[in-house]
Amino acid sequence: MTRLRRGQATLYLAILAAWEVLPRAGVVPRLFVPPLSEALGALVADRREYLGSLPTTFGEILVSYVIVCGGGILVGQLIGSSATARRMLLPVLRSAYAVPLVVLYPVMMVWFGLGSESKIAFASIYAFIPTLLTAVAGVAALSPTLAETARAFGATRVQQILYVSLPASLPSMVAALRLGGALVIVGVIVAQMLGAADGLGFLITRHRTLLNSPGVYAGIVLVLGITGMHEILLRRLERKVAAYRQS
Amino acid sequence: MRRYERLVVAAGALGLFLLWEGLVRRGAIDASLAPAPSTILDALGTLLRRPEVLASLGVTAWEVLAAFLIAVPVGLGLGFLLAEVAALDALFRPLVNFLFGVPKSIFLPVFILMFGVSIPQKIAFGVFTTIFVLIVGGVAAVQSVPRELVTVSRVYGASRWQIVREIYLPAMAPILIESARLGMVFNITAVLLCEIYGARDGIGYRIAAWGENLQMPQLYAALVVVAAAAVAVNEALRRVEARLGAWRQRA
Amino acid sequence: MTRPLLAIRSVSQRFGVDGAIVPALESIDLEIPDGQFVSVVGPSGCGKSTLLSLVAGLRIPTSGTVLCDGEPITEPMPRKVGMIFQEANLLPWLSAVDNVAFPLKLRRVPKAERLAAARRMLELTGLAGFESRLPHQLSGGMKQRVAIARGLVQNPAVLLMDEPFASLDEQTRMVLGDELLRIWSETRKTVLFVTHSLNEAVYLADRVVVLSARPGRVVDDVIVDLPRPRSFAMTSGERFGALKDRIWQHIKHAERR
Repeated sequence: MTRLRRGQATLYLAILAAWEVLPRAGVVPRLFVPPLSEALGALVADRREYLGSLPTTFGEILVSYVIVCGGGILVGQLIGSSATARRMLLPVLRSAYAVPLVVLYPVMMVWFGLGSESKIAFASIYAFIPTLLTAVAGVAALSPTLAETARAFGATRVQQILYVSLPASLPSMVAALRLGGALVIVGVIVAQMLGAADGLGFLITRHRTLLNSPGVYAGIVLVLGITGMHEILLRRLERKVAAYRQS
Repeated sequence: MRRYERLVVAAGALGLFLLWEGLVRRGAIDASLAPAPSTILDALGTLLRRPEVLASLGVTAWEVLAAFLIAVPVGLGLGFLLAEVAALDALFRPLVNFLFGVPKSIFLPVFILMFGVSIPQKIAFGVFTTIFVLIVGGVAAVQSVPRELVTVSRVYGASRWQIVREIYLPAMAPILIESARLGMVFNITAVLLCEIYGARDGIGYRIAAWGENLQMPQLYAALVVVAAAAVAVNEALRRVEARLGAWRQRA
Repeated sequence: MTRPLLAIRSVSQRFGVDGAIVPALESIDLEIPDGQFVSVVGPSGCGKSTLLSLVAGLRIPTSGTVLCDGEPITEPMPRKVGMIFQEANLLPWLSAVDNVAFPLKLRRVPKAERLAAARRMLELTGLAGFESRLPHQLSGGMKQRVAIARGLVQNPAVLLMDEPFASLDEQTRMVLGDELLRIWSETRKTVLFVTHSLNEAVYLADRVVVLSARPGRVVDDVIVDLPRPRSFAMTSGERFGALKDRIWQHIKHAERR
């Protein structure tokens, strides 16, 4: 192992060790940060509860994913392929990115109640614009001659998008998927934290109100695990797509 | 955007609002869920005259500002440190990138456990959410300084301090402002999230309360204010960024 | 006999790279009188640029001394020595006139004075009217003119030029070469001009110093006895060809190795 790797490994081990030791030693109050083992212990002990929250959570994530990534990529292709559309809409979209969309959740709750619909609606809105911007950028980066060639062969706009633009911009579309997916996961969990009757975010909030720190951290670790796996899977997909393009 | 295209977009937006207004009046849209724009504007006027609402806005603004003023120097400072000291960079960079990619919102309950529901808690969470953008931006800014310009300055007899002031600062300025702008976007979102999740004051708290009490015109009016403020800050910073970075165009 | 303006006495330069010692220059002895235009040529890696950086005061020689006007050079002396690089290296956020005035700003010369000096230099280099342009609005050749103006603004006795025209197209090179000679004849600086181009080396200079491959040693010191002002027609003459060939023989040997 090189010196650098050893240094990094030591760093990570030190952090994990501190997480375990400092709360036990009383240096950090256990309420703020419970020992790592207790958090993991809570995860195992209450696993039925946590696992039980997953179907709802995953369901909401899945539906939002389809809306955001499907819709975002489709609309992104449409906007991205037209220089005029880009010129007119990109400034508006970029300004809209600055709006703190989290304030829309109370509206979603009024419209859809505490159930899954409000989570899906919120996560979809939350993740839509960043995904869209990534997709548009990916299409805009394509060489314009590609579209011209397709048009010369008599392709309609839809055909041009499906058979030329989409395959050509595939790596960017996967990048948009990766971003959109990450935001959808966070959107759903946060919405569940803010107001729900079920789900992983709801569990975390409940443990917090009961001052059950290990429970809170257990939930967070689980969320990190989900986002981490998503990240790994999508990076692998990105690499596969890139490799496939090289061949 | 060309002139007439700007008008088209504006006309389009106006058209949507008129459509909304019309549909509510016809009864096609439930006014209790989505009141007409005219009702919202009315509520907006009333709201902005109520001192307790203005006070809430002030509280939120104060939290955002405080978090920003802490996160920017600390974040940039750490970024500069990482960029200048290669050993620290190699050691900590993967960790920083990992933390940068982790969704910070889910840590909100932890901050409440630590600080309780309070203004320091919201400021701390704001700092936590914002600081990573600034660390990454600080590193990028230092690395964007062309080394040849430092050599040129040395040939012409620049002191260390002159090199920082005449070369580093102008070269880094556009990236620094951009990081500050992105940080501010995350910051505002984080503070409002805190207030909606659990707070005793601030405009986010009021928004959540109006939602619970189904006071829709007030809720929408507040959304308009918050969105307008956030966009205004973003555009202001973008304008500074454009001016300080005009030289970055390719010929 | 008058003291030479630049004296390079037994200069050797060694670098430590990854634990090994790499000799770059070996026992360089050169005396350059005031007002002489000297080209330095040699195969790639022979240490030409290192030699320039020693005269610029950016490095201290491992052994030997570099003297300017009798004083050893141990650090950059911006008032005595100006330097122009292969890339113009202008500050992209400053206009042309501010770029030229930059060395004066570092010396805290008052604004009005330094801008006036900068404008004079821009006029000298043929860029009157372009003062407020930013570098990204200038062509490669114009950027180098600004760089030359910047090098001249403090009226140094010595001008160091490290392949300044290498990244320009041939026509611009020729135009700038003639411009450089015009400026030189008006200001009579001492010039050390490093180049890869034998044409340029002979055309511009009074004298061509040829370095060997690494470690660089002086293998020839050729006086260019062509009359001034130089003209393009001379480049197809016999004398020009003979000088080039003499230099080429040295380099040919080195490159083959």
